[in-house]
Amino acid sequence: MVANVVKKAFYRFYLFQPGLRIWHWIQFLAILVLFITGLYIGDPFFIGSIGWEANDAYAHVLSMDLIRLIHFAAGYILLFAFLYRIFLMFTKKSHFSLLIPKFWKPWFWKGIIEVLLFYAFIKKSHLPLIRNPLARIAYVFVLLLIFFEIWTGFAMYGLSDPSGFWAKFVSNWTLAFFGSEYELHFWHHVVAWVIAIFVIVHVYMVFFNDFIAKEGELSSMTAGVKYFPEGHLPEDCDDVASQKECKKLREQS
Amino acid sequence: MGKTYWETFKEAGISRREFLKFATYITGLMGLAPSMVPKVVHALETKERIPVIWLHGLECTGCTESFIRSNAPYASDLLLNLITLEYDETLTAASGILYEESGKMVRAGLVGHLDKVVEEYKDRYILIYEGGVPLGNDGKYCIVAGRSYKEDVIELAHHAMALIAMGTCSSWGGIQAAKPNPTESVDVTKLVKKPVIRVPGCPPIPEVITGTILHIALFGIPPVDDQGRPKQFFGNRIHDTCYRRPFFNAGQFVEKPDDEAAKKGWCLYKIGCRGPTTYASCGNLRWFGGISYPIQSGAPCIGCADKNFWDKDPFFERLKGVVTSKSWCGRRRNHRCPCRPRYCGRH
Ligand code: HEM
Ligand code: HEM
Ligand code: SF4
Ligand code: SF4
Repeated sequence: MVANVVKKAFYRFYLFQPGLRIWHWIQFLAILVLFITGLYIGDPFFIGSIGWEANDAYAHVLSMDLIRLIHFAAGYILLFAFLYRIFLMFTKKSHFSLLIPKFWKPWFWKGIIEVLLFYAFIKKSHLPLIRNPLARIAYVFVLLLIFFEIWTGFAMYGLSDPSGFWAKFVSNWTLAFFGSEYELHFWHHVVAWVIAIFVIVHVYMVFFNDFIAKEGELSSMTAGVKYFPEGHLPEDCDDVASQKECKKLREQS
Repeated sequence: MGKTYWETFKEAGISRREFLKFATYITGLMGLAPSMVPKVVHALETKERIPVIWLHGLECTGCTESFIRSNAPYASDLLLNLITLEYDETLTAASGILYEESGKMVRAGLVGHLDKVVEEYKDRYILIYEGGVPLGNDGKYCIVAGRSYKEDVIELAHHAMALIAMGTCSSWGGIQAAKPNPTESVDVTKLVKKPVIRVPGCPPIPEVITGTILHIALFGIPPVDDQGRPKQFFGNRIHDTCYRRPFFNAGQFVEKPDDEAAKKGWCLYKIGCRGPTTYASCGNLRWFGGISYPIQSGAPCIGCADKNFWDKDPFFERLKGVVTSKSWCGRRRNHRCPCRPRYCGRH
């Protein structure tokens, strides 16, 4: 018989304050909108305005103008979300230290191998980690990509007002750096796809971890907490708790 | 001190009234506000005519072809009245052996025509480069009158008051610098330490050429962007001033160069128009006295003022190698795209 209720002790790690969780989901929505509208901008594959005069089409249907406006509005949201994420780094220890790929720690390298084997269904479990090394690398990487999109995006956006704020402070040197705006469009477009690929893998990994590792992966970005069964104290415990607390817990187990 | 513009005009029998009209005209052309007219008049009355040396490197000389078609001011006016063109391989009346002999004499230690010009107008002349500079094979791919163009580019820059890279070749390397670039051509800015004003375009619009030269002659270096392009001519994308922009905003696009939409004059974005990424004045100045420009004539802009634009082919696709709905449609012949059966470009 399978027991309906099991008494088991857990370590409960409070990783993310509401601010960070809200940031994550706003960013998700913004990027979703940006990606879809961006693809339309790159290749306007449907034409919703056959039979309209340009003037009327402009005002009445899902026109290029409106889609670009949505893209730029979501762009501003993404920008402020990004700045907010930077601010969040100073509000809680785990908001900052969980993002750092700690390659100077032994568990980091051991973790890479074990996590890979775990994902390949070769190992049943890996050494307990609040955030595994691969995820750390991936998150830093994707935050950089998002920054790149914001940078190139606002550089292109800015030049429709050559004496405005963005043109003055961002666009001109960015153009000189890339050579021409064509390259800007090109890389903005390519990186959009890289982010899309990240999201697919990311979502797969999140559900994978939630279902198989059963450490409350999904709940970390909704309720803000993760659970580890007693005896499986995560190696990167001190990214969330203080060194003293972790040491105490480690001695207890 | 040479003669001022006004003195030259008077000598040529041009009335004061004509002179003021001309001043107003070029004020507008240089992109200056009407309130600047008195300053332009003042500059014309006090500045001496500026000496110009115009060099040709690896190129098609299309920029000169464009230049001589300038309408406002006429290129002849500029050449005969507004500047003194001291050296130019293609435009000066003196030509052939007599003219170029002097160049060879320099090599022999004698003072040639070019040396005389440089000596006489030290630190006062404008140096205009046209054409890319081949570095391969020690510059032997471009030799004019016994001197390699590479040497000239560096030497003559020393005493120039201002340097202008005229056209895409001297600004960005141009067609000879396109892949695989067998002559190892570069743009002049790679060789010259001083700031160079870039006037890209293949060729640049005639009035942009004359306008830039005029601005330097009257007021010195014009305001430029981070890449050295005069802001009054290269501050905007063609897309920003294109008369087809309402169709872009409405989402009404040409799918094939000869389809129904093309006949209606819709936006050329989807057939590779580079207007959204190219900085030039084609949209507002247009060409040859405002007659037309490529987009108005139904062809997408190929971005000729853009860096390395030759390598950004195919010109009739938007971004090189980027997946679009069209790339799916084109894969299989007779395949009908479910989402937009009528609009698959290659059916
Ligand atoms: C545009 C799409 C997305 C982006 C760019 C993105 C990005 C990120 C980033 C950067 C983090 C690290 C958080 C931090 O500490 O700063 C993260 C964590 C997380 N994301 Fe996403 N995410 C996206 C979509 C999603 C979706 C759709 C889900 C849900 C299925 C999801 C679930 C999670 C979870 C559960 C975490 C916590 C993982 C952990 O702590 O190890 N994300 N995401
Ligand atoms: C993750 C975030 C983003 C994604 C996935 C994304 C995606 C895209 C894509 C695919 C394109 C089409 C590129 C082309 O083919 O020319 C595009 C264009 C553009 N994006 Fe983004 N973008 C993002 C963020 C931003 C941001 C933050 C801004 C800033 C306002 C921005 C501004 C622009 C602009 C100005 C264009 C060109 C529009 C035009 O040519 O009319 N993007 N974006
Ligand atoms: S034709 Fe070219 S420049 Fe004109 S609106 Fe369309 S994309 Fe822009
Ligand atoms: S429309 Fe484009 S390709 Fe044509 S001349 Fe102008 S910049 Fe060059």
